[in-house]
Amino acid sequence: MHHVVLERWSRGASPIHRRDPRAKLAALLVFLVVLATAQQSLPAVALALFVLLAGALLWARLPLMGALIRAGIVLPFTLVFAAIAWMSGDPARGLALLLKSYLSALAVLLVVSTTALPVLLRGLEMTGAPRFLLMVAQFLYRYLFVISEEAQHMAKAAASRGASVRGLTGHGARFRAAAGALAVLFARSYSRAEEVHRAMMSRGFLGHFEPLFAPQFQKSDAVFAILASLAPVLVRLAVERTV
Amino acid sequence: MKAAVHIPDGFLSTPVWTTLDAVAAPTVVLIVRRAQAGFEESKVPLLGVMGAFVFAAQMINFPVGIGTSGHLVGAALLACTLGPAAASVVMAAILAIQALVFQDGGILALGANMLNMAVAGVFAGYLPFHLWGNSRGRRLAIFSSGALSLLASAVLALSELLISGVRMPGSVLGVSLGLFAVSALLEGAITLAVIEALEKIQPGFVRRPVAGKSLAFGAIALMAVLLAGVGVLLAATTPDGIQKLGLETGIAGRGHALISTPLSGYEVSFLRAEWPRKAGAGLAGLGLIYGACALIGRGRRK
Repeated sequence: MHHVVLERWSRGASPIHRRDPRAKLAALLVFLVVLATAQQSLPAVALALFVLLAGALLWARLPLMGALIRAGIVLPFTLVFAAIAWMSGDPARGLALLLKSYLSALAVLLVVSTTALPVLLRGLEMTGAPRFLLMVAQFLYRYLFVISEEAQHMAKAAASRGASVRGLTGHGARFRAAAGALAVLFARSYSRAEEVHRAMMSRGFLGHFEPLFAPQFQKSDAVFAILASLAPVLVRLAVERTV
Repeated sequence: MKAAVHIPDGFLSTPVWTTLDAVAAPTVVLIVRRAQAGFEESKVPLLGVMGAFVFAAQMINFPVGIGTSGHLVGAALLACTLGPAAASVVMAAILAIQALVFQDGGILALGANMLNMAVAGVFAGYLPFHLWGNSRGRRLAIFSSGALSLLASAVLALSELLISGVRMPGSVLGVSLGLFAVSALLEGAITLAVIEALEKIQPGFVRRPVAGKSLAFGAIALMAVLLAGVGVLLAATTPDGIQKLGLETGIAGRGHALISTPLSGYEVSFLRAEWPRKAGAGLAGLGLIYGACALIGRGRRK
């Protein structure tokens, strides 16, 4: 499962891993905007930005191929639209959709695989995103795999009892069975949440997380933020001048 | 059958995503505050775990027709059980995790996706349940909740793409609208079936809608439905018509030069020196939104 891979990657050690999450988020935002607004000689700009990202991935000691494949998650959705654009006589736009969405995904991947998610969310919180929302996201991520596993067990159990969605008859019954399974999963999740809540209260939960560490925005982070933000801008300017 | 449309980065034109981010940021902050007010903060595990439930629910397949299957999207189900504000927060958290961890949906497009699914999807979906959830047509109300929530978010996403200049020939547009309709019916049927099953297990899960309480809620819900309705009308016309409408109403606020039709000769020369300014304007806009939100937040806390 790829999220496990992400967990492993994000706990690596490299100069990029050590930077403050806010510095990385700022650089990511600049990169995305530079990419999103690129129009002139886009393929060349995209290639240059790709080289930049690949260099950063190597610098972060991440497996290059693995990352490139993982960012391909966006491709199925994009390919459909690119094909439609192509067919309706606008191949340039189709290509633009492909390049932009893939490179954006790769850039996001670079940031989340060099920053553990709790640290990243903490960084977002310190830049002023609503804490309540981020706490919900944190809990969601924590229990995502627990509840997903439960759903998988239920699906497996149903399959072992001979249930399958692919068939020609008995749709109504199977539909109701699936609805029942979801209702059970809902009830279980709900009561699990209550148990979690009770356990946390008994350990003195005050309604918000007390972070074990507070990232310090140091000089090196500021330097990194400035350089990493300038890099895509300069790369694009240089490419557009020469091409 | 994938019904939820998570717009990746690169699909929306710059004026569209900046505008939607600008609208989404304060809206989400407002909804979060509302949810926080009606919910003890210590209940936050519940919202998180229910978000995980919605994720996991995608693994349970519902038979649709011969050999195909669909799954729950969940905005309406959450709205009927947790209430609209809390459901909206859960959906927003889901979208954030999907964009960050799973690269499903873009970061710049996060505002658009949140407006489509966490705001419009939830509030439009809650509207029928809110209005008729206590009446004799309760089952129909729940069904339309599911259907409307999916339809609202899908149609909004589609019209945003069209306004951004993503070309779609009429036939493709027709097919996708048809697909949305089928997905909407499916979401309605799943929502209804799950809620009925839930009530058999434990009746307390499903909310009793309290009639005529919140003006803000009504406004957001109506806005979502209206926007989706306009979206349908727009999508029914040709994409060119939509672009024209986008131009005329100045929907992006920045005039027609920014509605991107990339690589058409005129704009290439026009943009040669323009992009750093444009990108700068985009970033400055984001900065302004951020500053405004931070100020509002600080003012509220006092």
